[in-house]
Amino acid sequence: MKSFETPIERRGADLAGKKEKTLHRRLSRQTRENIFGYLFISPWIIGFLGLTLGPLLFSLFASFTDYNITSRMNFIGLDNFKRMFTIDDLFKTSLWNTLYYVLFSVPLTTAGAIFLSVLLNQKVKGMKFFRTLYYLPAILSGVAVYFLWMQLLSPSTGLVNTFLAWFGIEGPAWLFDPEWTKPALLLMKMWSVGGGMLLYLASLQGVSNSLYEAADLDGAGVMQKFIYITLPMISPIIFFDVLTSTIGSFQIFQEAYVMTENGSGGPGNSLLFYNLHMWNNAFEVFDMGYASAMAWLLFIVVMILTIINMKIGKKWVHYEGGDDK
Amino acid sequence: MKKGLLFIISAFLLMGTLAGCSGESAQAEKTKDGKVVVDFWSFWGSETRRPIIEKIIDDFNRSQDEVFVKHTYLPWGDIWTKNLASVAAGNPADVIINDINSVGQRAENGQSEDLSKYIDDSFKDQFYPHLWETVMYEDKAYAVPFNTDTRLLFYNKDAFKEAGIDPEKPPATWTELEEYAEKLDVKNGDRYERVGFYPLWGSIGAASWMTSADGGKGFIQDGKLYINTPKKQEALQWLLGWKERLGEKTVQSFEAEFGSEQSNPFIAGKVAMWVDIGTFYTQIRDYGNDMNFGVAPIPAYEEGSGNWSDGGGFVAEIPKGAKHPEEAMKFIEYLTGPEAQKYWAMKNYDNVANKEAAEAVVKELKGDDQYVYEATVKNLDQTQLFPVPTQYPDYQNRINPHIDNVLLGKTKPEKALEKAEEDVKKLKKN
Repeated sequence: MKSFETPIERRGADLAGKKEKTLHRRLSRQTRENIFGYLFISPWIIGFLGLTLGPLLFSLFASFTDYNITSRMNFIGLDNFKRMFTIDDLFKTSLWNTLYYVLFSVPLTTAGAIFLSVLLNQKVKGMKFFRTLYYLPAILSGVAVYFLWMQLLSPSTGLVNTFLAWFGIEGPAWLFDPEWTKPALLLMKMWSVGGGMLLYLASLQGVSNSLYEAADLDGAGVMQKFIYITLPMISPIIFFDVLTSTIGSFQIFQEAYVMTENGSGGPGNSLLFYNLHMWNNAFEVFDMGYASAMAWLLFIVVMILTIINMKIGKKWVHYEGGDDK
Repeated sequence: MKKGLLFIISAFLLMGTLAGCSGESAQAEKTKDGKVVVDFWSFWGSETRRPIIEKIIDDFNRSQDEVFVKHTYLPWGDIWTKNLASVAAGNPADVIINDINSVGQRAENGQSEDLSKYIDDSFKDQFYPHLWETVMYEDKAYAVPFNTDTRLLFYNKDAFKEAGIDPEKPPATWTELEEYAEKLDVKNGDRYERVGFYPLWGSIGAASWMTSADGGKGFIQDGKLYINTPKKQEALQWLLGWKERLGEKTVQSFEAEFGSEQSNPFIAGKVAMWVDIGTFYTQIRDYGNDMNFGVAPIPAYEEGSGNWSDGGGFVAEIPKGAKHPEEAMKFIEYLTGPEAQKYWAMKNYDNVANKEAAEAVVKELKGDDQYVYEATVKNLDQTQLFPVPTQYPDYQNRINPHIDNVLLGKTKPEKALEKAEEDVKKLKKN
């Protein structure tokens, strides 16, 4: 046992002891909290490791093999990737179809949604009704909509061509003519821009009126106000929309699968999109290794495009918060 | 230390779930009275089919002391992926109904069990030979045929009379088909009110006509390619001729209406001759208002070249790694035996693989039921199956776009088929 000479010394030693104790207790509490934290999120962690990261890494590995799910898994290096560019002609077709679709659908749906939201942002009586009306298509779910559009686009009896006939225009055969299948899908996509419209509408209402008032005082016209105030103010949402719809458009699958006979790719393979071709390889001929390789290539393509988008985005996206963060 | 703990926790949780899984399957292996449970997967879940297959299973179960079959219904499409996953995981069903044309593909990929040790000649002789051929892979049987189909020409007898054609003399060759079709067309100005015939409507495609012209030789036979042959070019040109005669617009607008499947154009009287599978008759029977129709084999390319038809169907097989193959085989034997097959055929109006059963059904049916069924059974002699060649699993997807392009007037048949053959060659797997 120690003996202390002075009260001060004793006090100092007590403090040190206390400090040590609390420090120890706090540490263990932190650890305990960490443990509980991990426990609470463990369903997600296990799900993520087992159902997302695991399969992801597995498919990365599989992309270098001739994996067929049941009996084969030989390492074949880059053969799958070589095959895409040398042997598999449908790969090029599918990539081209997908790029075509992305190139048109992203700008069209974005512009369409902005246009609609600006219209629906006017202060007119009964606006709520119109907003509901234009948003309505967005709540209808996939397959039902595709079947509906297959009827609408029917060459002789469909509503679209009947409507065109009123103006003396002979409508195309839409889903039966390889030249018109993709435009037909774009038309269908345009019909359901309501989801994007809602986003823009919300952000439009966040644009401060004082900006427009100031512009009015300076004598700015409607177009000028739109280009110099509205667009920059909602640019973060445009950026978000362009980014997500680009990624989404690359993944187009359902439409083509449902609207072409058993996912065959439509007339002249004009609707054979990348994911459809990949699906056919994976689940029709069980070439899982090759399908995995295709998936990873698409991943790389989309990632590069997203990075480019982010880089360009810095130039035109206006963040009100000030520094670009 | 944190990581260690995390690891332990997740390991425990993971073990828990795994134990849960294995516990379940161990339980299911025997019934309470000690019968071995055979898990049978099918996609027959519809209101009409489910009771039929379950009655067959019931009958089997009642006759057994040692085996109990449990039916698991899985939706069409899902069933194949689920089967693959379960084979890969080593815990598959004991019996599964699968597509007849890909038996070889599954055998090659190690997805199904070799059944040859259970099978002798007398068992094999129960089935139509063209079906039995498709279940063989490298001289071993990997499945047992269950049902099949065949295509016939359905024709509207009233329309024949109206056009002055003897309704008891259906067209027998392509030339006759063309002659008849022209007589049967009904036009109102530029619009067709009735089309006599169009070869790509119904349950038949360009490939079948091309095969028929080539004396029944398909695109790939015994590992050799016969895609770009003079007869196939000719057939393609012939198909294009039909399209040109009717006009692109007529064809497309008719097709768009079939797409909705609200009413069949043959039954509605809009098309006078129509190629379809035997069971199409049930639609005529149920919705045709006593339509006066006849059936005939698909017309031959020329006299004596054969009234070839395509066929498909399903087989019963044992997935690779099934726990009770012997018991499973007992059930397959019953399922493909005369009794169960006859019941299935009578109730579903389906063509079955068992010869004895098919003949018994012909005898038992009456009237039109019998007339059409007998025609389908006879037609099986001229029906060919085109199993997916293991070396070129994806060949159809390569050929079809080229055929599409010809029919769209974008290229000539010779060019298209030459390119198609090149494309398929590139696919070859060693």
